[in-house]
Amino acid sequence: MKTVTLVAGVLLVFVFVWERVDVVRLGYQIERLKTQKVLLERERDQLQVKFSALTAPERIAKVATEKLGLVPPQQGQVLMVHLPGEAPSLSLPSVEQVRLARHDSTGGVSE
Amino acid sequence: MLLLLLCGFSIILFRLVTLQVLQAAELTAKADRQHQKTVSFEGARGMVSDRHGKVLAMNVEVPSVFGVPTSLESPSTVARHLSPVLHIRRDELERKLQQDKSFVWLARKVEPEQGRRLAQLSLDGIGVVMEGRRFYPKGPLLAHVLGFSGMDGQGLEGLERRYDLHLHGEKRVTVLQRDALGRTVFPKGLAEQVPTPGHALTLTVDEVIQYIAEKELEEAVTHSRAKSGTIIVMEPQSGAILAMAVSPRFDPNVVAALTPDRWRNRALTDTYEPGSTMKMVVAAAALEEKVMTPGSMVFGENGHMVIANTTIHDHDKLGWMTFSEVIQKSSNIGAAKTGMALGEQRLYRYLQAFGFGQRTEIDLPGEVSGLLKAPKDWGGRSLASISMGQEVGVTPLQMVSAVATLANGGVMMKPYVVSEVRDQKGRLLKEVLPQVKRRVVSPDTARTMTTMLEGVVTNGTGARGAIPGFRVAGKTGTAQKIDPRTGAYSSTQFVGSFVGYVPAESPRLAMIVVLDEPQGEAWGGAVAAPVFRQVGEQVLNYLGVSREDTVKIALAMKDH
Repeated sequence: MKTVTLVAGVLLVFVFVWERVDVVRLGYQIERLKTQKVLLERERDQLQVKFSALTAPERIAKVATEKLGLVPPQQGQVLMVHLPGEAPSLSLPSVEQVRLARHDSTGGVSE
Repeated sequence: MLLLLLCGFSIILFRLVTLQVLQAAELTAKADRQHQKTVSFEGARGMVSDRHGKVLAMNVEVPSVFGVPTSLESPSTVARHLSPVLHIRRDELERKLQQDKSFVWLARKVEPEQGRRLAQLSLDGIGVVMEGRRFYPKGPLLAHVLGFSGMDGQGLEGLERRYDLHLHGEKRVTVLQRDALGRTVFPKGLAEQVPTPGHALTLTVDEVIQYIAEKELEEAVTHSRAKSGTIIVMEPQSGAILAMAVSPRFDPNVVAALTPDRWRNRALTDTYEPGSTMKMVVAAAALEEKVMTPGSMVFGENGHMVIANTTIHDHDKLGWMTFSEVIQKSSNIGAAKTGMALGEQRLYRYLQAFGFGQRTEIDLPGEVSGLLKAPKDWGGRSLASISMGQEVGVTPLQMVSAVATLANGGVMMKPYVVSEVRDQKGRLLKEVLPQVKRRVVSPDTARTMTTMLEGVVTNGTGARGAIPGFRVAGKTGTAQKIDPRTGAYSSTQFVGSFVGYVPAESPRLAMIVVLDEPQGEAWGGAVAAPVFRQVGEQVLNYLGVSREDTVKIALAMKDH
């Protein structure tokens, strides 16, 4: 009985010491990770700015025309295909009283 | 003996009171100056992105370099080492470092690379803190709308200024303490209490449409050797601004060397006499009031009409014509007669209803209300002049907003550029929905106007604004500018413009093109209409709006 209590007591001390040590260890780890997080976030922001600058339409247009020799599609080279029921929509919820009659299929599509 | 003691005490007491009470404030300040320095840090400024989330402005942490002059042994040596890294003249650095201060900024918001090189030098008495620097990654794109912010992160112009309350991050003031050796001690745990960043804005602007508008405007301004130019593209159903381009452009990343003249958003801060584009508004009023129908016959007086001892001229000698032709051919005499048929009060009421003489209340700073005199201040010629777009000052934004009203079936929407405000975690704080201002004319009038304005493009002054495959409704305008020296209309300085919308049957875009003082051929139909066409064609293509002819092909195939 005595030995059991003794062993339990010693174990308890060990657990206690281990816990203290671990708290300190984790504290350091947290600090390190925090610093790392700040650095990574900074790098992410810098990359985002770079990405945004590289994808600027002005730059893309320049590379496309000057480096790749592309030209904007000429008249007649673009055919719009819309699935039935798909409205080409850019817009936001339209205001109720503002609804214009749509004239897209004018009926007068003669052969 | 006792007297002597008392005397001594009173002297000491007097000195004590002088130091501790009378000079207390002054001396405390002096002491603080020697061992304290307050520096404020701000949370990251909010991001600005376009309607598809493309980043237009954002903050990045970059190093700022400070010095602690009082702890330096040899300011000149330090200055010699720093000079090549910071790209600042050596004597200037030395001068800063020789001041009797415990803190001095040497270079704010430098490149990250410079910070790294500085860390390698590891100089005593020189420190680095990270501060947010504003970047506009797309350079001059949308610069006049975005504006810019100052070194301390305060919005100075454009959206940066208007939405500063949302954009700016939390400011936290930190007191730096100097220790016994004179070194600066940053308070511990500074990194932990990061100030909260500002809110992010989402705009209604589309960067591709903006780019198209800017590119074509730059080209047109260069080509016509105009002083400046403006394009506004608006969605008529909502009032959302899709693009707002002003030429000449500027780069908000480097504004230090520029004058305010360059960054003023002319689309809403500058007024011009609109000239013939105003006839569109007068015509809409006449139709709505039923004083005219498209078929009403108007006599063109063979090109000359005398009003209030002045003569109004037309470009061509016009005889009898229909009201539609008055608009198509942009007859001044026809417009003057229309104005007279309406009468002063009614015309004035409609001009107001179309938004002239008042701010559109767009969410951008610096907007002016333009010039629209009340009828009691009108002269003998005013009714005729105003009907043909003289004696009134309008902003391009007011004019596009008026044409958008016709495109939108007669209902005027409030123009806006910011559609969403979100906090740093992406939660929606404010959503801006399209806002109806008022109904100005009936849907019938708007429809009739559309047909008449289509006539301007199919066989009138606006022929060069036609976009193949689409029905365009528009109106040209050419106004003589008032020569500031003579006070009379100049014969060499013009403002050429074109306003319109497309596709006429269900408009997706309302647009204005204004060119200020184009050289050579200055007619709105010649300088501005082609720009409308160029921008309109590319934007409709980008938005995937079907051309009429392709629709027919598609339907014909379905029939088989």
